[in-house]
Amino acid sequence: MAKNGKKTTDMQFAICGSAGDGTIAAGDIMKRAMAKAGYKVIAFDVYPPEIRGFGKCISRIRITSDQVFSLKPLSDVLLSLDDSHAIPHVGEVKDYGAVVYEDMPVSVMAEGSHISGHLTSTQLPYGVPFRELSERVTSSARSRNIVAVGYLAGLYDMPRQVFYDTISDKFKTKPAALTRINIEAFDAAFDVGRNTFRLDEGSLNPPQKKSSSGDLVMMSGNGAVAKGCIDAGLDTFFGYPITPATTIMERLAIDLPKHGKRMMQTEDEISALSAAIGAGYAGARAATATSGPGFALMSEMMGLGSMAEVPAVIFVSQRGGPSTGMPTKTEQSDLNIAVFGAAGDGQRIVLAPTNVEGCYKCAGKAFEIAERYQTPVVVLLDLYLSNRYEAVEFPTKNPFKANCSKPPGKLKKGQPYHRYEITKDFISPRAIPGDKGYRHAITGLEHGENGRPNDTTHQQMSEKRHEKLNGVLRHPGIAMSKRFGDKGKVDVAIIGWGSTFGEILEAMIVARAEGITCTAMKVVLLSPLPMEPINAIFEDSKEVLVPELNYEGQFANLLMGATGRPVTRLNRVPGTPMHVEDILEEIRRLAGKKKGRGSLAAE
Amino acid sequence: MSGETHFVIIGTGGAGSEAALTLRQRDPKCRITQITGSKLPFISRYELPRVIDGVNSWRELLAHPPEFFHENRISVRRNSWVDYVDAKNKKVLLRHKEEVSYDKLLVASGGGGYVPENLREFRPLMNGYGSFEDAVTIRKALPKKGHVIMLGGDMTGLDLARTLVAAGHRVSLVAGEQLFWPHEVPSKKREKFISVLEDMGIKVVLNQKVTAIKDVEKGKYARRVVFEAGGGIDGHAVMPFCGLMPSLNFMVGANVDIERGLLVNPGLKTTNDSIWAAGDVCQIWSPEENSYLFYYGWHHIKEMGKIAAINMTGGKKKISTYQDDHLYINKQGEIDSPYWMYK
Amino acid sequence: MSNIEKPVYLEEKLEEVQESGRLDYRSKSLPTWCPGCGYFSIVEGMTAALNNLEIDPDETVVVSGIGCASRFPFFVNTYGFHTLHGRALPVATGIKVANDDLTVVVVGGDGDAFAIGGAHIPHAARRNVDMTYILFDNGIYGLTKGQTSPTSVLGFQTSTSPFENHDQPLNPLMMLLSYGASWVGQAYAGNPHHMADMIEQALAHKGFSYLHVLSPCVTFDKTTMTYKNLDMIVHPLPEDHDTSDVMAAMAIAQKTEAPALGCYFNEPRQTLNDGLDDIANRAQGKNEKPKKASQRQAAE
Repeated sequence: MAKNGKKTTDMQFAICGSAGDGTIAAGDIMKRAMAKAGYKVIAFDVYPPEIRGFGKCISRIRITSDQVFSLKPLSDVLLSLDDSHAIPHVGEVKDYGAVVYEDMPVSVMAEGSHISGHLTSTQLPYGVPFRELSERVTSSARSRNIVAVGYLAGLYDMPRQVFYDTISDKFKTKPAALTRINIEAFDAAFDVGRNTFRLDEGSLNPPQKKSSSGDLVMMSGNGAVAKGCIDAGLDTFFGYPITPATTIMERLAIDLPKHGKRMMQTEDEISALSAAIGAGYAGARAATATSGPGFALMSEMMGLGSMAEVPAVIFVSQRGGPSTGMPTKTEQSDLNIAVFGAAGDGQRIVLAPTNVEGCYKCAGKAFEIAERYQTPVVVLLDLYLSNRYEAVEFPTKNPFKANCSKPPGKLKKGQPYHRYEITKDFISPRAIPGDKGYRHAITGLEHGENGRPNDTTHQQMSEKRHEKLNGVLRHPGIAMSKRFGDKGKVDVAIIGWGSTFGEILEAMIVARAEGITCTAMKVVLLSPLPMEPINAIFEDSKEVLVPELNYEGQFANLLMGATGRPVTRLNRVPGTPMHVEDILEEIRRLAGKKKGRGSLAAE
Repeated sequence: MSGETHFVIIGTGGAGSEAALTLRQRDPKCRITQITGSKLPFISRYELPRVIDGVNSWRELLAHPPEFFHENRISVRRNSWVDYVDAKNKKVLLRHKEEVSYDKLLVASGGGGYVPENLREFRPLMNGYGSFEDAVTIRKALPKKGHVIMLGGDMTGLDLARTLVAAGHRVSLVAGEQLFWPHEVPSKKREKFISVLEDMGIKVVLNQKVTAIKDVEKGKYARRVVFEAGGGIDGHAVMPFCGLMPSLNFMVGANVDIERGLLVNPGLKTTNDSIWAAGDVCQIWSPEENSYLFYYGWHHIKEMGKIAAINMTGGKKKISTYQDDHLYINKQGEIDSPYWMYK
Repeated sequence: MSNIEKPVYLEEKLEEVQESGRLDYRSKSLPTWCPGCGYFSIVEGMTAALNNLEIDPDETVVVSGIGCASRFPFFVNTYGFHTLHGRALPVATGIKVANDDLTVVVVGGDGDAFAIGGAHIPHAARRNVDMTYILFDNGIYGLTKGQTSPTSVLGFQTSTSPFENHDQPLNPLMMLLSYGASWVGQAYAGNPHHMADMIEQALAHKGFSYLHVLSPCVTFDKTTMTYKNLDMIVHPLPEDHDTSDVMAAMAIAQKTEAPALGCYFNEPRQTLNDGLDDIANRAQGKNEKPKKASQRQAAE
């Protein structure tokens, strides 16, 4: 596809092997190098659930010149570092794509155990003696993965220097000799690849010129969350290990002390959020990170945060549920607890980014919002978004504001400070322990404006706690929803949240190219819902499709409850990202319906 | 898989593919595996001149559409070189260390370009013409009005020469013993054909022995062919067309009779009861000539493949050993040959 | 035991109390405890201690869980957080980690601490969070009107153990000593002056200090843990008790049939915040004290 005469690039590599083969490291080097070279990159690694090194790993990297939003269901190139693992994935390579493999295995293989026998008639085979090359240059077979990456780099004529830089970076804590021989191994293989006659149909065209001064950095969703926390001045982090949120805590365990801040691993999730709430009460910016099972434990404490109006930020990376569920698979089924979980009417603010850059922004903004509206804020990610890498350009100036809490104001003589004073915007001026003259006690019991237990004030206080949240719809510096595609009246609207939105956008683009009028809207603020744009899109559309990775249609339920209008659900729980094809099929089906609302709400 | 006969065919050229299709027709249940060193599904060698004419995509040169193999349940092992055939245990060992067991084996590996011994060290400086990759390489090596120096002058080379001349390139032919191979043209008759070649636009250099080929670093041309008598020719590419050598190194040690090619009876069976051969790789016993003969040409190749397959599935056909091998001048005044008929 | 030696006149006492400044620590809310409840004297003791130690009430936070004891924050004039059943300790930890300058006092009852809150105690103790945990042990769940608690004696009859309590009671002192608390003491609401002194010691200790206070529930336990019964069995720790000897402390703690009062164990060590500072220093590669957790200036 040529745009403005310039050739565009869209190549997806899948590297498959066992953990012991350095599969993930190979993918890591490739994605970082390509981001350095100025391409847009989306990457996602699949790990085996076992800890031992023999399980299957797949690293998928999509390299494009234009912005894309998801991985493709079919890859252009499959690199096999272990045929027994890679053979089942040959079907993932498109027609006229390439399969690259070890040409000289250590010992004789039985018929059918070599991947070259499993290619379809249109796939192109490239056999390379990785092990031999590695041993020749480095005297060990351990650099096989770097050799393989070098070969691919040469085969597709990628720029060398970015790989040298990336490899040096990767080995920077190791002896310099190691970097040198790995670069040599890379080079040797690069030359072999370069001199290989290419017959498959992938092509890597030079990247577009960099648009601004910033550097493109490869970052995962969790990495972006950690960075957002640091940039927003997170003071204290309390966490408990749980897949897939642990890496947020691990990153902050290193970064927070570097900034003179504090991080602590607690004894469970309940104490993690309890400590964050305590710290929030004391005026610090505090956060915790967890997944579904831990989040369920945090319900009661979240309710306390809502009732006592204490700020805290909870990052939830959703995984397969219910209960212990599928720890290494992605899902979007914790929306219900995020929005509703806790005793009573404990509404809080819920944000859900849709890509890695959004993770950064939502993370930082969450602290501003928690402070300003004096409430717990839940930021929903999912395993796919947490572990997905994208090439992101971070702003050079810190986009987050410190200290967004409404200050307690001057004390009036004779009038004691009232922590829960009902004001015009329902946000009370907030004093924190240490402030002179503002002593008060807060509680999870219903209370009056002075904070003392009181059960006659429940109606007004409920109104206060709910109405105060409305301001977040207009919080500066973050789009709480965004509409893409056709403006005005459309046949089909797709409303989505979280990482699924990437696949939704890709489906919308294809549908529009097929002549279907459609629009897609991402909703980032899930509680309270931005009703204005939501109502508007319902008005504009004949059919509304809500694709999400959960069985019960949690977001569809929210939308229908809020608007009173029917939607078409698209619910899938495969444990992997939704297929663009599935969404596209639904769009086509809905577009093909007769005029007027023929669709039933429930499928 | 017990119960199913496994037929393994080495080679996906004319003979091998015809054999595969015939096997499938005669034994719908059997397993068929074809092995080829090429990365591509079957490209007909005779389509290669189209690359010179400008065809870029190998997809246009396929002899069969890709689904052909899948529909006929023929498993094609591409990029797979045979290291050796273990006839005793009926196994084929591929270079990438995979063992393929067979019930019956057909060797249809064809031939590679023969290069005279004294020129073998210069192989890296010469361009081959056996594969799609070779054809593209040659086309890229030639600028507009490029100059190709051919050595030898066999019929494949002359066929290519026609295409090159038509595409506006120059061809110089350093004639060798293999001029007009596989036709055997007595010296007296050669002159006539040679002047026809000159009329066709091919410059023929006679009575020169090539001693070296050099890389030319500066200037218009890339290669120099050096003559024993002194002097030489400069061009963009040097291509050997000195006839075919049967590809059968892997059969050494398989205990079948080999002369230059694999020796087969008129039913195309080798001296091993489970191994047949067809195409350029084999020499067929001719009772009339009382010797083993090669048979060339597209039709023969296909015929051989078919007959071998028939006989591998219990048939008793014999190859017709008549070969039309005369070189002639056609109505347009150009050299023509039965070996050039591919349709 | 009566502590009155000579007559005390109301006006003199009132003046003395007012001048002492400890009324500043008393909130205007009247406590909701039953008359005779030992908790009244705990409030007294606490406010006296804070006053004596000259701890700024604006920099004091009292954190509680749920229960009769947990009503405490409303009855003192400091910052306070009435949290959830069993969760006072981790909330308090968060407060202390956020701001080193705050004096954090955690109060709670035996149910709040050792039933639902049991999982958090070892960690607060082993981390040596610099705060004081005052435990009001009345061997019962009072607020919900009288159910067995983890410290109820064997055989105790309550609404949820109408026949008898089968579960062996925990030994909180043994637990805290084994958890690595750096200060462990026991007091008795029936000895208010001694208790006030103990509270002061606990507050003054830098690190995690645990004060176990035996305090009868006059409404729901009229048979077992009463002032009368306790008066007969409590006694001071031996004079020669070595407060750095944890095994000796445990041996004494085992003797629940005669509770000893006083400081069982006292061995200061690095606190949680000190440790976090150390980590920050090392991460930043320097020796100075790092930035404090962010605080806002109080409005003028």
